[in-house]
Amino acid sequence: MAKKTYDLLFKLLLIGDSGVGKTCILFRFSDDAFTTTFISTIGIDFKIKTVELRGKKIKLQIWDTAGQERFHTITTSYYRGAMGIMLVYDITNEKSFENIVKWLRNIDEHANEDVEKMILGNKCDMTDKRIVSKERGETIAREHGIRFMETSAKANINIERAFNELAEAILDKTAGKDPGDHVDRVMVDRRQQSSTSKSCCN
Amino acid sequence: MPDCNENYGSEIYEGKNLRSVKCKFCNSVILTPGTATFTTFEFQLPLIKQTKIAGANPETECVSLFWSVNDMFTFQNVGFSNTVASTKYLTCADCEAGPIGYHDIPSKMSYVALSRVRHS
Ligand SMILES: Nc1nc2c(ncn2[C@@H]2O[C@H](COP(=O)(O)OP(=O)(O)O)[C@@H](O)[C@H]2O)c(=O)[nH]1
Ligand SMILES: [Mg+2]
Ligand SMILES: [Zn+2]
Repeated sequence: MAKKTYDLLFKLLLIGDSGVGKTCILFRFSDDAFTTTFISTIGIDFKIKTVELRGKKIKLQIWDTAGQERFHTITTSYYRGAMGIMLVYDITNEKSFENIVKWLRNIDEHANEDVEKMILGNKCDMTDKRIVSKERGETIAREHGIRFMETSAKANINIERAFNELAEAILDKTAGKDPGDHVDRVMVDRRQQSSTSKSCCN
Repeated sequence: MPDCNENYGSEIYEGKNLRSVKCKFCNSVILTPGTATFTTFEFQLPLIKQTKIAGANPETECVSLFWSVNDMFTFQNVGFSNTVASTKYLTCADCEAGPIGYHDIPSKMSYVALSRVRHS
């Protein structure tokens, strides 16, 4: 067995209404040369990223939904093993903001009790179409004691920062606990999925 | 085979990758030195650019030189595509260029094609 090349492994999820930009947050590229490639037709399931925080090498495994959120069928199996959740709404879509409360209940019901959450108000590049003020986002986050940030997957604003902050919050929580193996290795073949086209950022 | 035109001998040290494996397009680090094992076999890997929407029959090329990794968390940065048959294709985690290789679900092995990445 090769020696481990990292100290900690955090599984992170993207949650929120359909259309808020979760897939774009994971699959960041927009109008570039790669969008007509083989990969963009299949879509990305998850990414592994390595960050270094406080001298620790941390692997982030970031999962996107396969579209289950449309049918409100996100259940325990998607949340299994998750240590962090990005709860995303669209600042140009009131409904997606109101549903944050619903998603928080869903998370309470299905996810690990001590899962670290962060609310993202995405599409902050669309200033002329904004419906949800930043203050409302901050308020709801404060009420629930959750971190908050406005992001743009399209303009690449705050995406990396958000993931780093979430990872740091998890690190704070896990500090002192036994590193490494408490995270169960996530099965790649855990869910059935059809290859859906990416309808993203174009 | 496209990857036979190049001499990768100097990239292999004791069966492992001597240097970092990076994305050809954006330089994102995919594997750090000494973390992957050199392996050869033939595999039909879809082309990065498809001339048309090929759907179920993407254009492929035969690739034969790989860096193999048995634990996906060995990767520094990488993306896994949705499942196609028993395979997930690997991409750059930062610019999504790919496939740079594939992951075989039954064996949990991942293979990065030497010809689809940069060594530095
Ligand atoms: N302007 C803008 N559009 C975005 C942004 N993120 C996503 N979109 C668009 O919103 C739509 C839905 O995005 P998608 O990632 O598929 O949402 P999902 O259903 O949550 O995965 C697509 O048309 C994207 O192009 C963003 O940050 N800014
Ligand atoms: Mg999506
Ligand atoms: Zn890249």
